[in-house]
Amino acid sequence: MAATREVTTADRGWRRRERRASAGLLAGPLLWLLLFFVIPVGFVAAYSVGAVGLFPTDTGVVSLSSWERLLTGGSVYMGLFWKSIRMSLTVSAVVVLVAYPVGYFLALCVGRRKYVLVLLIIAPFLTSYLLRVLAWKVILGDAGVINSFLEWVGVIDRPIEWLLYSQFTVMLVLAYIWVPFVALPVFVSLNNLDPSLLEAAGDLGASRWRTFVRVTLPLSLSGVFAAFLFVFIPTIGEFVTPLLVGGTSGYMYGNAVQDLFTRGLDWQTGSTLALFLLAVVALLMAVFGRFLRLREIAT
Amino acid sequence: MTEVATSPGARRSLGLFFGLLVLFLYAPIVILAVFSFNDGDVSFPLAGFTLDWYRRFFTNPEILRSLERSAIVATVSSVIAVCLGTAASFALLRRRFVGKSAVSALLFSPLVVPYVVFGIALLVIFTAVDTFLTETTGSYIGLGLHAVVIGHVVVSLPYTVLTTMPLLERLSVDLEEAAKDLGASPSQAFRRVTLPLLMPALVSSFLVAFTLSFDEFAIASFLAGESPTWPVYLFAQLRVPSQLPQLLAVSSVVLAVSVGVVVAAEVGRSAAERRYATGSAPS
Repeated sequence: MAATREVTTADRGWRRRERRASAGLLAGPLLWLLLFFVIPVGFVAAYSVGAVGLFPTDTGVVSLSSWERLLTGGSVYMGLFWKSIRMSLTVSAVVVLVAYPVGYFLALCVGRRKYVLVLLIIAPFLTSYLLRVLAWKVILGDAGVINSFLEWVGVIDRPIEWLLYSQFTVMLVLAYIWVPFVALPVFVSLNNLDPSLLEAAGDLGASRWRTFVRVTLPLSLSGVFAAFLFVFIPTIGEFVTPLLVGGTSGYMYGNAVQDLFTRGLDWQTGSTLALFLLAVVALLMAVFGRFLRLREIAT
Repeated sequence: MTEVATSPGARRSLGLFFGLLVLFLYAPIVILAVFSFNDGDVSFPLAGFTLDWYRRFFTNPEILRSLERSAIVATVSSVIAVCLGTAASFALLRRRFVGKSAVSALLFSPLVVPYVVFGIALLVIFTAVDTFLTETTGSYIGLGLHAVVIGHVVVSLPYTVLTTMPLLERLSVDLEEAAKDLGASPSQAFRRVTLPLLMPALVSSFLVAFTLSFDEFAIASFLAGESPTWPVYLFAQLRVPSQLPQLLAVSSVVLAVSVGVVVAAEVGRSAAERRYATGSAPS
C-alpha cells in the first residue's frame, strides 16, 4: 500500500517536471507566434469589422458593411478573386502535368545519381524568388532579350508586346517558379513505391502501360494531390509576380490587397480582403491539409 | 526496377524531357548572368565583355548599404529562428503534452499563410502600437529592420523545424541518457553530447533561414520603411533602366552565392542523416 503511494508521488513529480520542461521548450516559439502572428491577424480581423480604430477617420462603429460590400452584388474584388482562382488552378494543373514525368523519371529511371539530379531541379527554387521573376521581365520586355534578338535577326520589325504584361506572362512565370518545388512530392511518392508491386504486375502479364495506369499512377495520386495544393495555395494570394510582369491585365487579388494598403489607403477594405483570402486558404487546408504531409517531404 | 517501370524508348524520352526542363529552369538565370557582363544595355546584339557593372556596384554605396541591411536582417532573424525552431523540435519529438497536434499546426501554419496577408497584418499591428504609443507617451517605434526581422523569424520558423526534426529523430535518446548515467548533468549532457551531434541540422537550418530572409521581398516591402533591404531596393530601382545592368551584376553574385550555400547545406544535412542512420557516431 505504502509502496504504491510512493510510486504515484514519484510519478506525479516526474510528470510535473516533464510538463515544466515541455512548457520551457515551447514558450519561446509559441510566444513569438502569438505576439507576431496570431495577434496581428486577429487585429486585422477586428479592424475589418470596425471593432478597433487606427486612424482619426475610423468611425469606431462595429459593422459588417465592408464584408457585405465584398461578398455581395458582384463586387470588383470578387471578380478579381475568381480571376485569381482561375489563374492559380491553370498554373497548378500545368505545373503538375510537367512535374509528374520529371518526378517519375527521377524516382524510377535513374539509379544512384538520383539525389544529385533532384538537387539540380530543386536548387533554383531555393534561390531568390524576386530575381527569377526579374529574369523573365528582362527576357520578355519590349527592349528585352527575346524581342531584341528577334529584331536583330530580322524576324520582326517591332517588339511583340503581348510577351510582357499579360495574364499569360503571369501564368508562365508562376509555372516557372513552382515547377521545381512540385517535382519533389511526386518524386517522394514514387520513390517510396514498393518495386515488387510493379514486378508482380509484370509477372501477372500486365503491360508496362497497364502497370502504370493500374498500379503506379493510383499509388502516386496522393503525391500528385499534394503537389497540386503546394502550388495552388500560395499562388492564390500572389502579388509580386503580377506586379513585375502582369501589367493591368495580369492584376490579381493579392495586388488589390497590396494597393489598398500602400496606395489607396483604404485599410478597412484591405483588411477585409486579406482576411477573406486567409479564410479561403484555411478552408482549403482544413479540407485538404492532410494530403500535404510536410514531414515526409522534408526527409 | 527500371526494367519493369519503363521501356528503353520511354526512358529516353523521359530523359529528354528532364533535360529540356533543366534547360528551361536555368536558361533565364544564365541569361541574367550573361547580360551582367555585357558592355551595353540589356538587349541583343551583345556588345562585348566588361566587368564595368561589377566595378560600379562595388562602389555604389546605396547598393552596398542595402546588401548590408539584408545581411543583418538575415543573420539576426535566422539565429532567432534556429533557436526557437530547435526548441520546438525537441518539444514535438521528445516530449508528450496535451494539444501537440494544435501546436504543430500553429508552427507550420506560416507555410501556407499568404505573405501579403501576413505582411499587412504586421504593418497594421505596428501602426496600432505606434498610434497607441504616440497618444500615451508621445514616442513611437516605427517601421524598419526590426519589423522585417520579426516577420522573417515567423516565416523561417517552420523551415527550421522541418530541417531539424529528421536528424533529431535519428539521434538516439540513449546517448544523452548514457552521458547522464556517466555523471553528466542534464545541461552538460545536452551541451557536450546532443548539441554537437545536432550541429549539422542546426547549420543547415540556419543557412536555409538565412537565404530565405536575405531574398525575401513581399513581407519586407511592407515593413522596411525608410531602410530598404536588398530585394526592396532592387524592386524600387527597376524603374530606372540605366541601373539595370548593375543590378544584374549584383543579382548574379547573390544567386551564385545562394545556390552554393543551399547546395552545401543540403549535402551536409543528408550526409549527417545517413551517417546517423548507419549507427556510427562521428568522431
